[in-house]
Amino acid sequence: MKFLLRRAAWMLLTLWVVFTITFFLMRAVPGGPFSRERQLPEAARRNFEARYNLDKPGWWQYFNDLSHYARLDFGPSMSLEDYSVNEVIAEGFPVSVSLGVISLVLALTVGMTAGVISATRRNSIYDFAFMALATLGIAVPNFVLASICVMLFVFWFQLFPVAGWGSLDKLIQPALCLAAPFAAYIARLTRAGMLEVLNLDYVRTAYSKGLSTRTVIIRHALRGAILPVVSYLGPATAGILTGSLVLERMFVVPGMGTHFIESATQRDYPLAMGMVLVYTFLLLLMNAVVDFSYAVIDPRVKAE
Amino acid sequence: MPHFLRKAFPYLAIALGLASLAWAVSFNSVPPADLSFNNGDEVKTIDPAKATGQPEHRILTALFEGLLQNVPDPAGKDPNGNTPIIQAPGVADRYELSADHRTYTFHIRPGAKWSDGSPLTAADFVWSWRRLLHPETASEYAYQLNYVVGAQQYNSSELKPGDRVEVELDDRPYKDIDDRTFPQGTLRRGILIRTVKPPEPQIPKETPDKKKRELMAVWREKWAHVVEIKPRSQNNEGETILWEQKGDQFAYSQNPSPQETSCPLEIGRCKHVLVDFDSTVAIKATGDETLVVTLTNPTPYFKELVAFYPLYPVNRRCVEEFGSPGWTKPGRIVSNGAFVLQTRRIRDRIRLHKNPKYWDAEHVKLNVVDAYPVKSETTCLNMYLSGQLDWGYPVPSVVIPDLKGRPDYVSAPMFTTYFYRCNVTRPPMDNVLVRRALNLAINKREIVESVTRAGQLPATSFVPPGMPGYTQPKGSIDYERDVAEARRLLGEAGYPDGKGFPKIQVLFNTQEAHRTIAEVIQSNWKNNLGIDVELRNLEWGVFLSSLTKKDYQVARSAWVADYSDPNTFLDMFVTDGPNNQTGWSNADYDKLIHDAAAEADETRRMAMLQKAEEILLAEQPILPIYSYVSNNMVKPYVKGFTANVRDDHPLHLMWIDEEEKKRFLRGEVRQP
Repeated sequence: MKFLLRRAAWMLLTLWVVFTITFFLMRAVPGGPFSRERQLPEAARRNFEARYNLDKPGWWQYFNDLSHYARLDFGPSMSLEDYSVNEVIAEGFPVSVSLGVISLVLALTVGMTAGVISATRRNSIYDFAFMALATLGIAVPNFVLASICVMLFVFWFQLFPVAGWGSLDKLIQPALCLAAPFAAYIARLTRAGMLEVLNLDYVRTAYSKGLSTRTVIIRHALRGAILPVVSYLGPATAGILTGSLVLERMFVVPGMGTHFIESATQRDYPLAMGMVLVYTFLLLLMNAVVDFSYAVIDPRVKAE
Repeated sequence: MPHFLRKAFPYLAIALGLASLAWAVSFNSVPPADLSFNNGDEVKTIDPAKATGQPEHRILTALFEGLLQNVPDPAGKDPNGNTPIIQAPGVADRYELSADHRTYTFHIRPGAKWSDGSPLTAADFVWSWRRLLHPETASEYAYQLNYVVGAQQYNSSELKPGDRVEVELDDRPYKDIDDRTFPQGTLRRGILIRTVKPPEPQIPKETPDKKKRELMAVWREKWAHVVEIKPRSQNNEGETILWEQKGDQFAYSQNPSPQETSCPLEIGRCKHVLVDFDSTVAIKATGDETLVVTLTNPTPYFKELVAFYPLYPVNRRCVEEFGSPGWTKPGRIVSNGAFVLQTRRIRDRIRLHKNPKYWDAEHVKLNVVDAYPVKSETTCLNMYLSGQLDWGYPVPSVVIPDLKGRPDYVSAPMFTTYFYRCNVTRPPMDNVLVRRALNLAINKREIVESVTRAGQLPATSFVPPGMPGYTQPKGSIDYERDVAEARRLLGEAGYPDGKGFPKIQVLFNTQEAHRTIAEVIQSNWKNNLGIDVELRNLEWGVFLSSLTKKDYQVARSAWVADYSDPNTFLDMFVTDGPNNQTGWSNADYDKLIHDAAAEADETRRMAMLQKAEEILLAEQPILPIYSYVSNNMVKPYVKGFTANVRDDHPLHLMWIDEEEKKRFLRGEVRQP
């Protein structure tokens, strides 16, 4: 309990620091939300600024924003004028989550299987093949992968639609492309972890008890080997859940990734702040979950 | 850690994974649309008073309708080979223009309705235009009504003693929501006697502009306006103000500060003091079906503006009930166009349904239309080719040469010019000879033939070719002769062969095509004039801020015609115009533009504008590069799609030829 409370306190503190830095950094960048090619009449600009409290002194805005954010009210978006930031997140986040969940499950299944096979059949053709693929998966940027995907699955085999959202077949390509680098990374981590564990005494003991290879690997070795994967999962999940600009653009996925970039380029202060805070929160949350599950998986680690 | 938890953990994790997987793949399927098209980008707002930009234009034109509507000329191409945009009857089935070309009388068609079934009257237009002009709406397009008598005065809240004014008291019914200008607080109307100002703040010279503006605005808010409030008389027609009778004097201020202001009267708090809309701004409803609008000058393109989205009507009840932007949500929004808003999901799609209450509903053939916000041109083309889109736009420029011969590639010249701005306040661009030399040394033909490649026209003037009734100043491109002339001019300016010419910088906003064009120009200037040019790409926000602050030497720009008249291009460069941004100023030019606006004779007006353009081209604060063409991919079974000078494609004119579509999908109509 004490562990959780302390964690929560740290989390709030970090969020506040991130908020403060973002707040001042954003306003230090040249250009503003109402920069237009045509100069606005003074009265219009003034009213625009009043609508978003930008006419108030900096410190006033800072504390006003802080008190609103503390109540989870992110205010109106400046670039998507018909929406509040909360609505934008409420529309985009579930999309990113559902895409993220599929990618994550895909990455874990494929990555761990490949990793385990590579480790148990070390230096075999499987090992080389999987590890070559994994290196490729990390090295190839996702827009290249996405283009290859489209060529293969849309124009050659005509399996999936090009892009869009709203049905399962539209989801597969972006999920594949999003999962690929993570799967590759997980495969390498699993393989390394596995190799380390396979030489340990307790695994040898398990073998000598006469257990089958399969039981030894799944019930005994994997538990130890998975720890690096688990700690990698924290930041990976936060990253995956907040979406990817490139993939969202190419596959027209209405997730959060686009907002990250566009809110910054359009100087949509509230939306950019909302995005930064959501990401920070997810990152902290996922790290906490990882630490907690560490304690569950590894008896040597205590939650404190 | 309890043992059972540790034991169960792997299973729990797997179960959680499966459950979330099941959630992630569950979708409510929606039936397909009759027509799917790419709108190019996310729509920022569907409030006609607040929108700017092309994607918004397409959606707003489907949802709403103005007094008139802009449609491609059914008669087809004009002698220049362009398909013009003409004004067809919209909410008004006819209008009359007075003999002095200044007063328009619009007749609202009987039976015009909102999508909720309520009648649409002339009063709706008065209210909507009032909302557009209200300073608190902060509409960027409010200037579209500046041609109307009194409109600009209302919009800019300028006042002088003796003006009829309206005072909005600080008693709006909804205090909880910040952005609710309407319903307004109590309006009291009278004559402005005088304005009592506190001492003007002494602002040190070195104060940054933003701070300066802020201080001045704070000061203005403290002004106290002494108004003689006129008595009112109630009758069954409503309220009449007895302007001729005497009334009592009151003082009002947005921010009453009696200590600073020496005003003998008690200062009441108000929201605004503006010129009286009803008696000053010449937008009047005479009866439910007649709207009379009086302009300051004969403005032949006013009918086109009336058909443009800022002047679309919005539903007063809806806006007042839900506030802004709350009223724009699907399920709440009431509109009057051929379509209604069904769903709107950010970066997913906007779904439009046919509006059964639309006056011409029997001729609207599409029932469901999807607008996608696809930003990637490649994805858009792929979606088109694989059949997800029936109308794709824009097309990536690299594949245009391959698509050009296809019958489903629809392209036409557009009233849009790509040009470079020169900052004439800074050397060496302050020298007209330098600017002319730079212009002549650009190989415009090479740019359109090897970079843009879609049939764009190299620009010899700023106004694109084919404006109805307008002849551009003479200009031709003879590259070799031009380069020789450019060298001579540069020499005359004091930089023979580019010697001693400082390194200049060309700014452009980050986009691949802009870079390629800038690179061609860079090498043209280097090879022809011996000038070193640095290219600098800036992200859009920073780019705009450099432009506004005139922190640049040469910067990329483009201008899309707001209406089909050379004035939309030329009035940009009047002294200190909001679109000028070059620091260029020429008294003769300003006078020509100003006089042309007041000229009733069309031929003489066009001659004045032509003269103005001659000055612009001789002084060259801008370097015109090329004029655009539109690029659309349209399936052969989509009918009613006409390429035109504005790239306007009203959805209610389109339909799907189902027979042809079937044949197309069976592969009988071969994809060329």
